[in-house]
Amino acid sequence: MGKRIAVTLTLNGERRSFEIPAGRRLLDLLRDDAGLTGTKEGCGAGECGACTVLLDGRPVTSCLVLAASADGHEVVTVEGLARDGALHPFQEALVARGGVQCGFCTPGIAVSGVAILARGERDPQAHARLLSGNLCRCTGYTKVLEALAEAAEVVHAAD
Amino acid sequence: MPRTRRAPRQRPQGTQGGPLGGRHERPDARAKVAGATRFVADLALPGMLHAAPVLAPVASARVLGLDLDDARACEGVEAALTAAHIPGANSVGVIFPDQPLLVTDRVRMVGDRLALVAARTPEAAWHAARLARTDLEALPGVYDPVAALAPDAPRVHESGNLVRTFAVVRGDLERAHGHAAVVVEAEYHIGGQEHAYLEPQGCLAIPEGRERITIVASCQCPFYVQQAVARVLGLSLAAVRVEQAPTGGGFGGKEDYPSELAASAALLAWHTGRPVRFIYPREFDMQASSKRHAVVVRHRWGADRDGRLCFAEVETIMDAGAYIGLSTVVAERANVSAIGPYHVPAVRVTTHVVYTNNLFGGAFRGFGQPQVTWAAEATMDRLAKRLGIDPLELRRRNALDDRRRRLCTGQLMPKPVLARTCLEKAAELAGWKSARSRAHEGEGLRRHGIGIGFVLYGCNLHHGGQRLDRSSAVVILQADGSVVVRVGLTEMGQGNLTAAQTIAAHALGVEPTQVQVWQPDTTTVADSGPTVASRGAHMSGMAILDAVRSLRRRLDPVAAELLGCKPRDVVLARGWARVAGRPRRRVPIAQVAAEMAARRIEAIATGWHRTRARRYDAVTGQGDPYAFYAVACHVARVEVDADLGLVRVEEVAAAHDVGRVIHRAALEGQIQGGIVQGMGWGVTEELKLDRGRLLNPNFTDYLIPTAADAPLIRIAVVESEGAGGPYGAKGVGEPSLIPIAAAVRNAVCDALGVEIDRLPLSPPVIVAALGDRHPFADVAEPDRRERHARSAPTP
Repeated sequence: MGKRIAVTLTLNGERRSFEIPAGRRLLDLLRDDAGLTGTKEGCGAGECGACTVLLDGRPVTSCLVLAASADGHEVVTVEGLARDGALHPFQEALVARGGVQCGFCTPGIAVSGVAILARGERDPQAHARLLSGNLCRCTGYTKVLEALAEAAEVVHAAD
Repeated sequence: MPRTRRAPRQRPQGTQGGPLGGRHERPDARAKVAGATRFVADLALPGMLHAAPVLAPVASARVLGLDLDDARACEGVEAALTAAHIPGANSVGVIFPDQPLLVTDRVRMVGDRLALVAARTPEAAWHAARLARTDLEALPGVYDPVAALAPDAPRVHESGNLVRTFAVVRGDLERAHGHAAVVVEAEYHIGGQEHAYLEPQGCLAIPEGRERITIVASCQCPFYVQQAVARVLGLSLAAVRVEQAPTGGGFGGKEDYPSELAASAALLAWHTGRPVRFIYPREFDMQASSKRHAVVVRHRWGADRDGRLCFAEVETIMDAGAYIGLSTVVAERANVSAIGPYHVPAVRVTTHVVYTNNLFGGAFRGFGQPQVTWAAEATMDRLAKRLGIDPLELRRRNALDDRRRRLCTGQLMPKPVLARTCLEKAAELAGWKSARSRAHEGEGLRRHGIGIGFVLYGCNLHHGGQRLDRSSAVVILQADGSVVVRVGLTEMGQGNLTAAQTIAAHALGVEPTQVQVWQPDTTTVADSGPTVASRGAHMSGMAILDAVRSLRRRLDPVAAELLGCKPRDVVLARGWARVAGRPRRRVPIAQVAAEMAARRIEAIATGWHRTRARRYDAVTGQGDPYAFYAVACHVARVEVDADLGLVRVEEVAAAHDVGRVIHRAALEGQIQGGIVQGMGWGVTEELKLDRGRLLNPNFTDYLIPTAADAPLIRIAVVESEGAGGPYGAKGVGEPSLIPIAAAVRNAVCDALGVEIDRLPLSPPVIVAALGDRHPFADVAEPDRRERHARSAPTP
């Protein structure tokens, strides 16, 4: 099984330590070691975006990140998007606008969307381009992008 | 918490202000958006093992030997099994017994399984599987369905390569030929498609000794899985419990194929006595699982001087791959759907299903109809061009309507026939007239075009599958007034939970949030057939309505007693039981439920629905293949980069005849999703094959549409009375995909002024079609142009 190493990171706001095989992917640390199964594996090659998490606030495909390289960094998963029990405005908008179908891509889309909104991006064309790393096979993206536009207004109004 | 704007609720007439046709929150959305939904890969049990298959790397070979010693010696491996370990039948074909779970003597496709490994980690299982030593003697294979029909072609199975031929024979073809002023002949080469559901195939098998077993599977058809596992393990159906896990997309790809995984995991679980999870890596999933069929379609269609169709001859050759799977059933739909929503006096259709050593052809949203529709709509545009008639006008003149509603199968379509309505609405939404006049402006590199795709969709299962066309529901009224619903049809993203919830809530007069629909489990409902053919909402809904009728025979007398009225005067709406005509006399339904519980009255009811038997002659293709039909028309506007051969679909107008809307947001979601998936098939999704091996089994090289590719979609929903579904609803899942690729093809041809006979419309195909019209044709050296032409796949 090879060498095991210690990794400490801030996971959804909480400091956590794990002892893992050196070659473990961040995706597997999250799902198997931390029990956070909201992050999904759709392709294992960084193409579909279902495993997107925030690493120091930036969206990354966790299937392509070595867990060891997240040592000392901050990771936010879909489970960490809610604040005080309330879903993020983008998650709320996805629910309200019908932007969820099978739900397998949804955690990655939620995380990417939150990152896009954190940039203050309000242009719908930029939304579509920035979300193009998250594949969805069900919705045709229309309602997802509508939800993102709606959430952008909510976030902007709150700022 | 932020408030979100919602579109106003629209309700159909004649309902009692219930949730029907509204936009209430999907019951599964909140958990999914929080990452709280547990898919099968998220489930683990103590002692659980992981499965991996030993795979054939080539498409055609004789098996000389198999040595599993090295695999068994790997650390963490608990079992390595061959066909000799199968206690029941080594057979997983859903209709025909031509497909073994584990091959013994002959390899027929890349990805055939020779053995199965179970290990303590997925890594160990796949590593051990790769260490298996297989001794294979290469045999000649056949990789083209037309070539496979030649008498001397290598045989995929001993029975020969032609599996079945279906036909439609109607009218006097010779006489009709005499009336035709214009005849179009064409041969279309239409590629297959990968489902690309975001959740890969997966299941979990949990044994109870060797007595019985539970399967939790990502699947569309738990009853198919149940039958396959029972057959392979030699167990009774009652000893196999299949629970559908939340399923991350299906599109037909999780119709029959999950039976193969489930039988594999079940065999390993049965031998080890431990739970076994089997999750496909994406690359293997794309190589091995079923695909939309690649087909060749040959046309000879004729029309008179006024553009009225005189005859249509269609020959379709479908590449089934190495095993039949569902190919014959797909062919039945393709066969009767080959001439579209048009009135044609003389028709000859033949549809051949052919074995090859290619990818496994199977079910995919549309079920053979997208391919034949693509061909039919291409031919209609060719006819329009030859006749000098506007493509919209040509379709107007030939579309079925209330006066001319006899199909090519001889069936008289039920009224109202809404083909003309959908055609006009889509054209109007797209601004057809002004777009047509603008389309050819500018002969620069970026060209614009507009095109139509038009489909007549037979709802639910074809006559050939009508023995499966029944469904089961269970409704339980809880003591607090909430309601549990179980149906035999599955949620895979399309919204079946939402539809079932809406229908149950509407029928029981409670709020949708009071109704919990739980995913199917073969021990709670009876076999309801597959969740396919856009039949989910229809069949679930009809069975739920039957169960509610039965429940109300016990509920209404209790309510009547509390209200002091006759049971027949009890009205249930918006959480209240009321007296008909006296709305102020009311009690909460929750109080009625509590009263029923206090009196120990049976609060569980079962429901059943079966479709009416129909007649159909499979030899002549005459009769009633479907009970009723839905129409859809898509109009696409595209921009084509004529230099690079790149297509951008800018806008799509979609008009859909849906009968009655059950849930408006779910309906729109189906239409939008179907359009984008169908657009991907038509433009970028190409399965590149080399002797049966997929060269692009990943999302880097197999391009499905992204958010940046999504067109603007305008939707016109056409409602009507009288269709056979719950509250008059018709299926929409498949009609939403079928016409779009044809509309895009016609728009691209309109933009470029050339005909294209190949799908997808990849850059090499477009550049080859342009030939001398390519903007830089005159500067390209002749040999480079030839290379361009050759780079498009040749027949």
